[in-house]
Amino acid sequence: MATIKLVADYNADPCTGCKLCDIVCPSGAIKMEARKPVIDEALCIGCGRCVDRCPEDIMWMIQRSEPLVTTVHPDEVDQEAVTALLEKAGIEAAMSVCVCTLTPGSEIAASIIKGAKNLEEVCAATGMRSGCGIYCVAPALRLLEAAGCDMTPPGQHRWYPSTLSLYDLSDEVCAKYPDAYIEEDRAVFDPEHKYGPLSKEIL
Amino acid sequence: MNAHTAIKPPAFMHSDYGPALQPHVSETIESMVSVPLTEFFPNFAPAITSGYPETLEADLERVRAETRKSLALVDMSSIAATDSVNILASEHGFGLMGGWPYAEMIKTIREVVIERTGCTKIHLRLAIYRGFKEAEEVAEHFGFNEAFEGRVKGLGPFDQGVEVETVVGPMYLIKRAFDATKFIHAYYDDPREMYFNRLLYKSFKSFCMSYARYETRSVYHSMFGNRSGSVIPRALFDSDFIQQRYTFSSVLCTTPMGVIGVDATTDLYAIDRRITKSHLETYGRMQRLFAEIKDCVAIWDGGRWGYYLHGGGLIFGTLLTNHSDAFDLDQPVVAGFMQSPTAPVNFSRNKNLRGVVVNQAWVGAGIPYVTMPFTTPMYIVGEEQAQMWREDPTNPLLMDRATVVDSLHQGVAMACEKGQTDKLIVFDGSYGHLTCNQALADLLKARAPAVDKMVGEELLPKWLAQRGLS
Repeated sequence: MATIKLVADYNADPCTGCKLCDIVCPSGAIKMEARKPVIDEALCIGCGRCVDRCPEDIMWMIQRSEPLVTTVHPDEVDQEAVTALLEKAGIEAAMSVCVCTLTPGSEIAASIIKGAKNLEEVCAATGMRSGCGIYCVAPALRLLEAAGCDMTPPGQHRWYPSTLSLYDLSDEVCAKYPDAYIEEDRAVFDPEHKYGPLSKEIL
Repeated sequence: MNAHTAIKPPAFMHSDYGPALQPHVSETIESMVSVPLTEFFPNFAPAITSGYPETLEADLERVRAETRKSLALVDMSSIAATDSVNILASEHGFGLMGGWPYAEMIKTIREVVIERTGCTKIHLRLAIYRGFKEAEEVAEHFGFNEAFEGRVKGLGPFDQGVEVETVVGPMYLIKRAFDATKFIHAYYDDPREMYFNRLLYKSFKSFCMSYARYETRSVYHSMFGNRSGSVIPRALFDSDFIQQRYTFSSVLCTTPMGVIGVDATTDLYAIDRRITKSHLETYGRMQRLFAEIKDCVAIWDGGRWGYYLHGGGLIFGTLLTNHSDAFDLDQPVVAGFMQSPTAPVNFSRNKNLRGVVVNQAWVGAGIPYVTMPFTTPMYIVGEEQAQMWREDPTNPLLMDRATVVDSLHQGVAMACEKGQTDKLIVFDGSYGHLTCNQALADLLKARAPAVDKMVGEELLPKWLAQRGLS
C-alpha cells in the first residue's frame, strides 16, 4: 500500500513535447497527445521523476486534495492463486519488494492475479516505485513472468526483462564463483527448499 | 586549535536536492568535540588528505602526485591514439571529503592517459544515483566541463540500456557508459554500505550499480542475499562485453583517516584484495567501535542523503545497521532487501539509535526508508527544510511523523529527552576525527582499547580467512 499525496502538473505552453516525462513515468500515467503530455491523476503515483527529468523545468508536483491510497487487499483475490504465484516465482509473501512503500510480495502478486499485466499496471495498482523506483523492479518482473505475462520490453527503454534470482544460478555458475555463498544463501532465504529456477517452458 | 575543538567539516557542494547551506553543528553547538581517530586507534596511519579546506590545495597536489605515481606502473597499451575512452566515475565519490580528492584523481587520469597514449578523445561519464540533474551539478562544481573540454555527460539508472551476455544470463548496463571504444574504471573505495556489500568483491560493485540499469541493480540487491549478490558484479566484469572495452582501474584509497593513496592497475581483482584487507583492518575497527554505542542521537549535517553522510569515515547507515557484524561472512543475515523468512532484520531500525536530528541533508531517493520515521524519532530543523521534506515524493509519510523544530539546539534537546540519552554523534562528512559530544567521546575512548584487541586478535583473522586473505 502507498499513500500518494502529490500529483504531477505542468505548464503546457513552453512544453516541447520531448516525451521524456512519458518515458520515465513508472505507472503509465503520462500519455502524449498532440505532442503534449496528458497526466492521468488516477494513475500518477507521485514519484516526481517526470519533474526531475523535464529538461525545460516546466513540471512540478502539487498536493492532491485527498491522498490517493493505492493497494490491493488480499481479500480481493484468490489467496491460493497468490500463494501459487509467489511460490512459482520464488518470492516470499512477506518480503518488502518495494522498500520505500513497504509493498510486500503478496500485494504485488495479488495485483497480478487481479489483472495487472505489466510493470506499469502493477505500479499503478500498488504504488510500488513511488520512492526510489529502482530496487523493487526485478521481483515484480519475476512475478509477472511467472504469471505468464508478456515480457517483451516496451519501447523507449522503459524497462528490460531482468528476472534473475538466486535460485536460477546453474551449477556451472556456482562452480565458477565458489566463494559467493550461493548454497548458504539459498538455505537462509529458502529454508524449506520450496523454490527453484523459474521454468521458462511454462510460459 | 585544541585537538578536541569541534572542527568544521569539509565544504560540500550546494545542490538543488538539498536545503540552503546551514551553519554546521560544529559551529552551532559549543559543547561538541572532534576526537582524532588516532585517540581511539593509535595505529591508524595518517592520511594525505581528509578534505579540510585549510590545506586542501596542497593536499590535492599530493593526490595528483599519488595518482601519477600509481598510473606510471599501469600498462596502457590497450589504449591506442585513435581510440575513444570513457572515464567512468560514480556519484558517491563526490560525497567523500567534499569530493575534491576524487575529482583530482579523475582529472589526473585524463592528463596521464593523453601523455602516455596520445589518445585525446577522452570523455567523462558521471554516473548518478537518481536525480537527473545531479551530473550537471557535479560537472559544474568540480570544473569537469573545462577539464574535459566539454566531453562530459551524466548517466543514470533510467537511461537507455545495453544488453550484456554474462555467465548468469543477460544483464543490462547503461549504453552511454560504454559508448566509447574503451573505458577506465575510476573508482573510490569507500566501503559505504558495508551491511549490503559485506566487503565481498566491493571494488566490482559499480558494474552492477553505477554503470547498470535499474533492473540489474534490483537483481543485485533484491534477488540475492548480500553475500551471494557478489556474483552479479563479477559476472558483468568478467563478461566479454566489459573485457573487450576495459583498460584499467584507478581507485582512490581511503581509511577512516582520509585518503591514503591511489591504487591503479589492470588487475581489478588484485586491487580488490588489497583494499579489502586495508578496510577490514581500519573500517572494521571503527564499525565495531560504533557497535559499542548503546544509546545516542545522531545529527545529519552534510551535503548528501542522510544514510550516506560520513562521521569518522563511516556513513550513518553503518551506525543504523550494526545489529551484527557485517564483515563476518558466517553471519547469514545482516541488513539486506532480501529477508530471511525465519530471521528478518529491520535495517531501518536500531534500538540504540534514539533519534535523528536533521540539520541538513538531501531529500529524495527514498532515503530514509519509509519505516525509519515510524521507529526512530526524527526532528527537522527549520520550516524551510521541513517544506522540502514535505515535497519529497519519495518519502510521503516522513513529515507525518517527524517533528519540525525551530533550531538545532531545540531538536537536540528534544531528541535527547525523548530518547533518554546524553550522547550525540554527528555525520557531517568528517574523516580523521569523529565529531560528537564529550559523553560519547569518553565512552568511545574507554571502549576503544578492547575493540582494538578484539578486532586484532579475534575478528580480523576470521574476516581475512573468510575471504582467502590470511
